[in-house]
Amino acid sequence: MSLRILLVEDDRELRATLREALSVEGYAVLPAASLADAHALALQAERDGGVDLVLLDLGLPDGDGETLLATLRARRAVPLIVISARQAEGQKVRLLDAGADDYLVKPFGIGELLARMRVALRHRGTTAQPAVTRYRHDGLEVDIAAHRVRLDGDDVHLTPKEFKLLARLVRHAGQVVTHRQLLADVWGAEFTEQTHYLRLYMGQLRAKLEPEPAEPRRLLTEPGVGYRIVDATP
Amino acid sequence: MEQPTRPSSPAPWLRTWPAWVVWLAGACAMVWLDGRVDLANLAMLVVLSSALASLWLPGWGSALAGAAAVLAFNWAFVPPRHTFSVDLHQHVLLLGAMLVVNGIISALMVRQRRLARAAHHHAAREAGLRSWGDTLRDAADPLAHTGTLAETLASVAAVPVALIVLTRGDAPATDPEATLQVGELDADQRAGVALCVRQGQALGPGTGRHEEQPDLYLPLRGRGRALGAAVLRGLGDGPARAGLAEGSALRVHAQALCDQMGLALQRSFATREQQQARELAQEQGVRNTLLAAISHDYRTPLASIMGAASSLETQAERLSPEQRRKLAAGIVEESARLSRLTDNTLQLARLGAPGVELRCDWESAEEIVGAVLRRMRQRDPARRVRARLEPGLPLLWCDAMLMSQLLENLVDNALKYSPPEAPVEILVRRAAAQVVLAVRDRGSGIAPAWRARVFEVFQRGDETPGSRGAGVGLAVCRAIARAHGGELTLRARGHGGSSFECAMPVREAPAPPEDAA
Repeated sequence: MSLRILLVEDDRELRATLREALSVEGYAVLPAASLADAHALALQAERDGGVDLVLLDLGLPDGDGETLLATLRARRAVPLIVISARQAEGQKVRLLDAGADDYLVKPFGIGELLARMRVALRHRGTTAQPAVTRYRHDGLEVDIAAHRVRLDGDDVHLTPKEFKLLARLVRHAGQVVTHRQLLADVWGAEFTEQTHYLRLYMGQLRAKLEPEPAEPRRLLTEPGVGYRIVDATP
Repeated sequence: MEQPTRPSSPAPWLRTWPAWVVWLAGACAMVWLDGRVDLANLAMLVVLSSALASLWLPGWGSALAGAAAVLAFNWAFVPPRHTFSVDLHQHVLLLGAMLVVNGIISALMVRQRRLARAAHHHAAREAGLRSWGDTLRDAADPLAHTGTLAETLASVAAVPVALIVLTRGDAPATDPEATLQVGELDADQRAGVALCVRQGQALGPGTGRHEEQPDLYLPLRGRGRALGAAVLRGLGDGPARAGLAEGSALRVHAQALCDQMGLALQRSFATREQQQARELAQEQGVRNTLLAAISHDYRTPLASIMGAASSLETQAERLSPEQRRKLAAGIVEESARLSRLTDNTLQLARLGAPGVELRCDWESAEEIVGAVLRRMRQRDPARRVRARLEPGLPLLWCDAMLMSQLLENLVDNALKYSPPEAPVEILVRRAAAQVVLAVRDRGSGIAPAWRARVFEVFQRGDETPGSRGAGVGLAVCRAIARAHGGELTLRARGHGGSSFECAMPVREAPAPPEDAA
């Protein structure tokens, strides 16, 4: 059975285009034009297994998507990708902090969307049991369980905080992790405003793991949102 | 005759001592001259003393003193001596003449003094008017001097004064939003003010209009209309009323003060209106330029998209797969251009609005540059863009999205306006209390005449064929720099090319984590 995608987008043209594009890729698309529609469709789909992924546009006529995220997450971890316009920065980051998996800024290419969806689907169920504990890409090997980091075959020594930070990114490889989430998971809930910690430690990590820290290839910055370690699968 | 008294000065009779000295000297002289000159000459001394003494004595005092002196002269010198009787007719004539002359002198003094006092009052009022006029002329906003006017009027009329002044040229005096009030007014007085302003004429005692009112209402008259009114309270009763009746001089003076305020207000309203009209026209002009330029810059990519898409729509089966792919790629590329143009236009509008809020955080210049490089590589396949960052740069307190937009625009611009093989460099260094992010190219540079104008909305260097749509980019860059308390400038480079330099203020960064390794 094909994977079911709940597509919440109020613009008719874009909804139709995305629906076509996703159908071609073999997904079953449930299109919704509003949050009310989306709630109804999600409940309906629940009876036969639920939806597998949600694409949520921000700025819907009947409110923001936080309630939808809460409803969906109440039963099980459905991956959710936020689609936002440039102006909706604050709301986008709020949703990501609240547990949305990733985001795309309009306008975006279908290739980008499909890549994000693949990553999100791969990470399904990560909240219960991390799906990714090993990372191997472009000469960098991270084994979280064994607490080992190798670059081009050589062991790299990381401080405990550096390792924790890298491990947090690796567990969600290919997905954005917000500043808040990183600070809460690595330093603790009371440090979520200390963004400058991240600047320091990301700089140190890049100095150890990037061939050219000024133009990182692995540890990517998402300005104003967070960080992302580049996806390991091609 | 009222005597102006001031609490600090000595009692009036104390100030008359020179008169008594004169009289004493006269008496001594007469006693000494008695028997050496005849009686008529002695009498002349009395007249002289009286005339001199009247300089210091009030009118009635001078007359009384003169009369007493004549009596004393009669008693002391006129035979039979030491009696008040007069035995010669000629002596009667002498004494009579002395009395009359004394009287005339006193009367003249009184008249002279009154004239002098009137002249003094007049001069003081003139000076008051002049200085009030100067104050208003130098004032940028006459409203700021409303309190001064109230004080001046109160000191002139010696009664409490309240004022209502319009703050907008087109508002009624009853609108509390558009008026400035000094002093307390009851409902009746407020109605009086409204009437006074509406009619533009004084009312109250002494004006011939609403004489029964206890207060005097004076309009602040501008040209053709009143822009407020002054209420001189309690001027209708008691001694103040008598003062008012004494002459309309006080009212005329107060009215002149008020009118100066009225004219000044009118001038300032007119200036303000002119300025608003000018700003409106300017704003309209900017908006029109912006709209014209936006539609121009949007049309080009739109035309490409339309062409490619319609070609795919109608000629699809006759195109080779390679041709179809090229057309589609063109659509994607032009859409990305439109998207950047839209981002810039929206950002420019947002930053131009008052009270814009930035989402600032502690950001690393290295990370922002890294993110920009990553985004730029798609448009820079030949890897012409290079980044060089000084080690140990401080964190910047900025909105990362905006800073990356700024750098991206500058890099985009540099790539577009320099030869296809020339390198473009992003250089970040510290300079005193600033971090300078520079984007430097080896293009043909920008003519000196254009350097100041490239940051204006939709200005472009010479119309290089094939280059398009940089106009809003630099304007939004400067807006972003300024929103952060920084500045974006353009410098010509020594061996050709331009360097766009964004200087950002460095703020004291928070403490690093305790376990920093």
